[in-house]
Amino acid sequence: MNTQAEDIKVIREMMEKSSKFLSLSGLSGVMAGITAIAGAAFAYFYLLRDPSLTGYNHWQETGILLADALTVLLISIGFGIYFSRKKAKKHKQKLLNSVTKRAMYNLAIPLITGGIFSLVFLWRGDIELVAASTLIFYGLALVNASKYTLDEIHYLGITEIVLGLLAAVFLHNGIWFWTAGFGFCHIFYGLAMYYKYDVEK
Amino acid sequence: MTSIISNLNKIFDSRIRLGIMSILSVNEFADFNTMKDLLEITDGNLASHLKALENIDYIQSKKQFIGRKPNTKYEITELGRNSFKEHLNALEKLVN
Repeated sequence: MNTQAEDIKVIREMMEKSSKFLSLSGLSGVMAGITAIAGAAFAYFYLLRDPSLTGYNHWQETGILLADALTVLLISIGFGIYFSRKKAKKHKQKLLNSVTKRAMYNLAIPLITGGIFSLVFLWRGDIELVAASTLIFYGLALVNASKYTLDEIHYLGITEIVLGLLAAVFLHNGIWFWTAGFGFCHIFYGLAMYYKYDVEK
Repeated sequence: MTSIISNLNKIFDSRIRLGIMSILSVNEFADFNTMKDLLEITDGNLASHLKALENIDYIQSKKQFIGRKPNTKYEITELGRNSFKEHLNALEKLVN
């Protein structure tokens, strides 16, 4: 009866491989988390802790925060592509296939919406709401894309949404929720995924 | 008298055909090259199995052009989906 068990294994594997982006590496989460903590630390110690130290006006401050956030985003995406490409190569798979594109498309819609929405807050001077809106829309993007990738992404998304809502309630502590969501959650889930999927047993 | 063995579909004796049906049962459609990459087999090998499944109406193909490149898309038919489901049930019964 071994061939039948083997058949079922092949069927399961093909269904999963053809419909889910499995090359996502936990290490990209860890690196994204570290980058986010560094970015948040910079924003906190350089600007937010005591604005009187620097004497920037509102627009200069906004510009620096934006540059800081964009740097974190680009470095995180860079690490994400680097580690996932490495993992894809190891499993002899193409990084860019129809499943990856589907996952990216589903991630991009809430993410870009949230990005623009947060820019509107920044532009209006509601800096405090930015932490909440980036966390909430990022969480929604993850939940939306999680159908096409590893299950942990779904729970990471839910966690980000909850932290985002808390950041909206405790408005003055936004940066701490932001650091927890983009920093520590990424590291925690990244490590969990790394040990579950990537470490050879 | 029906033995459980008789519920196993002879068409699916081949792992490659099982693979093709698995891919098409969870995706609305899949093109030739995607399946080739997933199954890690040659063009000729894949083409002959696709032809066999198409001949008995388990799958259907649609030729199209992406830019100037011809591209063949495949999708599972109702008959194919039901036959595959029956085969899966039979397999599971045998394993349990």
